[in-house]
Formats: sequence, C-alpha cells, structure tokens
Amino acid sequence: MYPCDNLGLSCYNQLTMEGLINGKAGYFGVRIVELILTLFVVSFFTFAAFSIIPGDTARVVLGPNATEAQVENYRKQTGLDKPVAERYGDWIRGAVTGDLGESVSFRKPVSELISSRLPVTLGMSAIALIMVIVISYPAAMLSSRRPGHALDHILSVFGHVIFAIPPFVLSLLMIVLFANLFGFISIGRYAAPSEDFAQFLSCMLLPSLCIALPKIAMTFKFLRASMIEERASGYVKTAKSHGLSDVRIMVRHVLPNSSVSTITVISLVLSDILGGSLIVEQVFNLPGLGRLLLRAISVRDFPLLSGMVLYLAVITVVLYFIADIAAAMIDPRQRLSERARP
Amino acid sequence: MTASKTYRSPSRAYYVTGAVLLGIVILAFILSLTGIAPSPNATSAAEKLQGPSAAHLMGTDNMGRDVFARCLAASKYTLLISVTGVLIAFTAGVITGLLAGYFGGFCDRIIMLFSNSIMCFPGILLALVAVAVFGPSLFNVVIALGVVFAPTFARVARTGTIGLLSQEYIMHAKVLKVRPSRIMAVHIFPNLMPQLLPATVIGLANMTLFESGMSYLGLGVQPPDASYGKMLADAQSYMMHYPWMIIFPSLMLVCYILGLYFLSEGIRISLGGESR
Repeated sequence: MYPCDNLGLSCYNQLTMEGLINGKAGYFGVRIVELILTLFVVSFFTFAAFSIIPGDTARVVLGPNATEAQVENYRKQTGLDKPVAERYGDWIRGAVTGDLGESVSFRKPVSELISSRLPVTLGMSAIALIMVIVISYPAAMLSSRRPGHALDHILSVFGHVIFAIPPFVLSLLMIVLFANLFGFISIGRYAAPSEDFAQFLSCMLLPSLCIALPKIAMTFKFLRASMIEERASGYVKTAKSHGLSDVRIMVRHVLPNSSVSTITVISLVLSDILGGSLIVEQVFNLPGLGRLLLRAISVRDFPLLSGMVLYLAVITVVLYFIADIAAAMIDPRQRLSERARP
Repeated sequence: MTASKTYRSPSRAYYVTGAVLLGIVILAFILSLTGIAPSPNATSAAEKLQGPSAAHLMGTDNMGRDVFARCLAASKYTLLISVTGVLIAFTAGVITGLLAGYFGGFCDRIIMLFSNSIMCFPGILLALVAVAVFGPSLFNVVIALGVVFAPTFARVARTGTIGLLSQEYIMHAKVLKVRPSRIMAVHIFPNLMPQLLPATVIGLANMTLFESGMSYLGLGVQPPDASYGKMLADAQSYMMHYPWMIIFPSLMLVCYILGLYFLSEGIRISLGGESR
C-alpha cells in the first residue's frame, strides 16, 4: 500500500526489536510481549513501593497501641513473616485470580471494594472521553477551515485559557456558576447506575465536563494543527479541483488522515482523565475510587492501596495497548515508527 | 519602509502575555518575602469572612486570615515546588534519556521499559501513593513529583539524542575517541535544548497542576501553610456566599499556569514550530 511499507522496514530492522519479525502478526506479537512485560514491571513497582515503607509494616498498620502478640499475629495472617520473593509471588498469584487480599480498615475483600466504586470512576472517565471526541472534532474542523480567522482566534484563545485551569478549580467555579445561574447543583444526589440510570448520568455530567474541558482544549490544539497540515497537502487540492464540497473534503479525506494522531492524543489524555476523576469526584462528593483512595491513604490501609494502584495501572496499560493496536490497524505507517507517545 | 512597520515576531504576543501573567506570580513571591502583608497564618475570630476592603485587599477567610497575605505566601510554595521538582525531573530524565539514546540496545530497552512503566500510572496516583507511603512533607511531595515527571524528559532527551547521533560532528567526535560522557555533555546536551526548553516550561505548569490537586486533597503542602490548592479546599464550603475566598486563589493559580503555557508556546514558535 504505502511505498515506505517495504523500504522503511528493511532499515528499521537493524534499529529495533519490532523489525525482527516482519508483518502485522509479528508486530502484534511483539506488542503483546511488551504488554506482559510492562504489566510485570508495573506490578513489581507497586509491590516494591509498599514493601519499602519506612518502619515495620505491621506496626504501621496496627498503630502504636498494638501489643507484640497482635503484631505477630497480623504478620502471620498477612504472610508478612515470609521472604519478600515469596510474598511477591503470592500477591501476583492472588492478583491474577482477582484476590487482592483484605482491606484492613473495611474488613472486606479489596476486589469487592474496588468493584463497588468502579462505576463512578469509569463512568465519569468514559463520559469525559466521549465529550472530548464529540466537542474537539467539530471545533477543530471549524477552526482549521480558515486559520487566522476571527472564529479560529476565539476558539484558540478560549482553548488556551481552559487548558490552564486545573479540573478541580474548574469544578468549583462551575458549581458556583451553575448554582447562581440556574439555581441547581447536582452534587450529593448520587444514584447507583443499577437503581436509576438517568439520575446516575445526570449527576455525572457536570463532573465529566470539568475533567473533559482541559483535555478538549488539548485535543483541539493537536487536531487543529494536524488538520491544517492535511488541508495544505496535495490530495486536498486535487479534491478541490475536482469540485468536491468543503464538507465532503473535510469528512471523507481530511478526517480519516488525521485520525491516527487522534488516537495518539486520546491515549495521551486517558491517564490524565482517570487521574482527574480521582480528584474531581472529591469536589462533587461522588463515591468513586478517589474517595476510597483518600480513605485508604488517611488510615494507611496498605492492602487496599496497593490493590487500587495495581488496578488503575493495569487499566491504563491495557487502554494504552488498545490505542496502540488501533492506531496500527488504521495506519500501517504507525507500525514502522516508534511508539508515537511523546 | 516606515518606522512604524518594524518587524514583529509572531511569538511576541505569547512572550508578552506569558511574561505579564508570570510577572504577577513572581511579584507576589517577592512581596511575600518583604513582609508587606499581614501574617498569612494569623487568625482572627473578629474579622472572619469579611469582603475585600482597604484593610484586607482580598477579604478574609473562615478563620479570619487575610486572603491577600495567603495568596502571596502560597506563591512561594507553588514556585518552590514546581521549580525544584522540575529540576529533579530534568536531571534524572535527561541523564537516563541521554544514556538510553547514546548507547541504545539493552541499556535503552531497560531504561525505556522503566520509564514507560512509570508513565503507565496516572501521574497523580503515583504522587499521591508516594506521599501516602512516605508521609506528606514538602520534601516528599517534591521528590514524588520529580520521579513522576522524569520519564517525559527521558523521552525527549532520548528521541533527540537518537536524532543527533547521525550528525557528522558526533561521528567526528567518536572517531577522535572523545569520551562518551564528554560527547553527551558537550556535544549532544546543548543541542537538545530546543526540545528540552519547551518541555521544561510545560513541565513547570503540569507540576503546578499536580501540586495544587494534591494540596487540595490535603496531601501536598500541609496546613497551616498556605497553598492555592489548600485554600480552595478550605473555601469550598463557603464559596456560595463568600466568593472572594475562591476567586483570588484560582486566579493566581491560573495566572501562573497560563503564563507558563504562553511562554512555552512562544518558545516553540520562535524555535520554528508553526503557529497553532
């Protein structure tokens, strides 16, 4: 398809591991190996972080008032008396089978706690991601039609300013604004998605918007640049000279060619959205993973903390992986270049 | 050519706006050192929740503390944390990035695997957990943020180094048996600056975003010391009726971050990137 597909690969061979195995299957194979390796390192980091806690872990968890017998008992219970390597093995084995141990403060399985809080965080992130795509595309299209035009300037300046406001500050300002303008705020009235889905969505809307807005500004910036670049290229001139309408050129020709950069941007935005939702749900008082995380931090509930960190990291790694694969499927050129994440 | 039609760089507007916005925060920092404002931590039950006036330029908060004085004091921590944090991230990231890019092969694989793995964690999560494990102190916050931001610098340095390796002057240096450490420090590092400079400025802005978020959650700058995030967290219950408590800290915070973004945009454009 692309002339560089064969030419480029031959010199690429010498540079990286990916080149060792030619073709699509090889590429995906290498990526999967890489995924597993990354997951392993991530889990190791997580485990290591909680193993190098200054002082005696059992002592820290139980507090200064615990007796020596209690501490000893806790060590036996949680396997802290075993060597580090064995503990890591046990922990990984548990994590793979979905058993992340028991929370110290809630006295419940960690996996149960996480899954009960997951709908809020993931729902909020998903809605925010949809908002990013739905808003940034049309805005970038409008803006790139006539670069330097008044509309372009307005959108760009607006984008810059929004980009600079931290999500939680945006949330606070939004709450004040909405309360004064419309007399309603949706904070506090949380409903589980299984009970009242419409209510669940409506109380997610504002928080999601607050996470999404800075990322919309960022995506808009990237998209606008890539669309302006595409519009200056030869095939757009050809299409124009053939008498195609502006809209058609935009949708059928420019959009598909700039879609790969979009996937790159989305994979960039993902972890920020997840991280942002951890803070924003605190502002809106939503029972998500962020609240659980803070609670775990404040009572130093390390089994719960390590479980949550691992869980969130694995979600991010897998989503990155999916974005990479999707980019490679859409555009074979992507497979030739190094991972495009800056 | 008339005198009025002097050349104006397209990046000029960005530099000017960025400098003005940053200037506000730096001015606040300087003022906080002069002791012109009342003590930022002095409480006064008689003066709580007062609106802006001549005595209290930005009003007082729920504990009767002067918001103006606290805004000034908070700029100190914002600047301190972002600058030292970026310094740590820059040093660690650039050194590992140079090593990975220059030596390539196994060394590159290992370093990139580690930096990719760090990037897999949502940054704020990593910083929060580090602080949770080691305890919330200014030092720990700075170290945690430095580690979280190091991979971005490593990436930039590595990509730039790989690009420079094919340059003739590097090859010459290699042929002349110049020590690798000297090639990296004298020949490669200065030429990475065009990429590293915008990354550094953006890093400062992003680090401030993180720090304010952490302080908002109570895991950054510890009370009673003032920080913008903490001030906003305190203001949350009062913001409906006492908006000055929330407006001024957010304005200062946005000034700093926006100023940095504009500055980086200016740098990028003057280094040959097209205007976005």
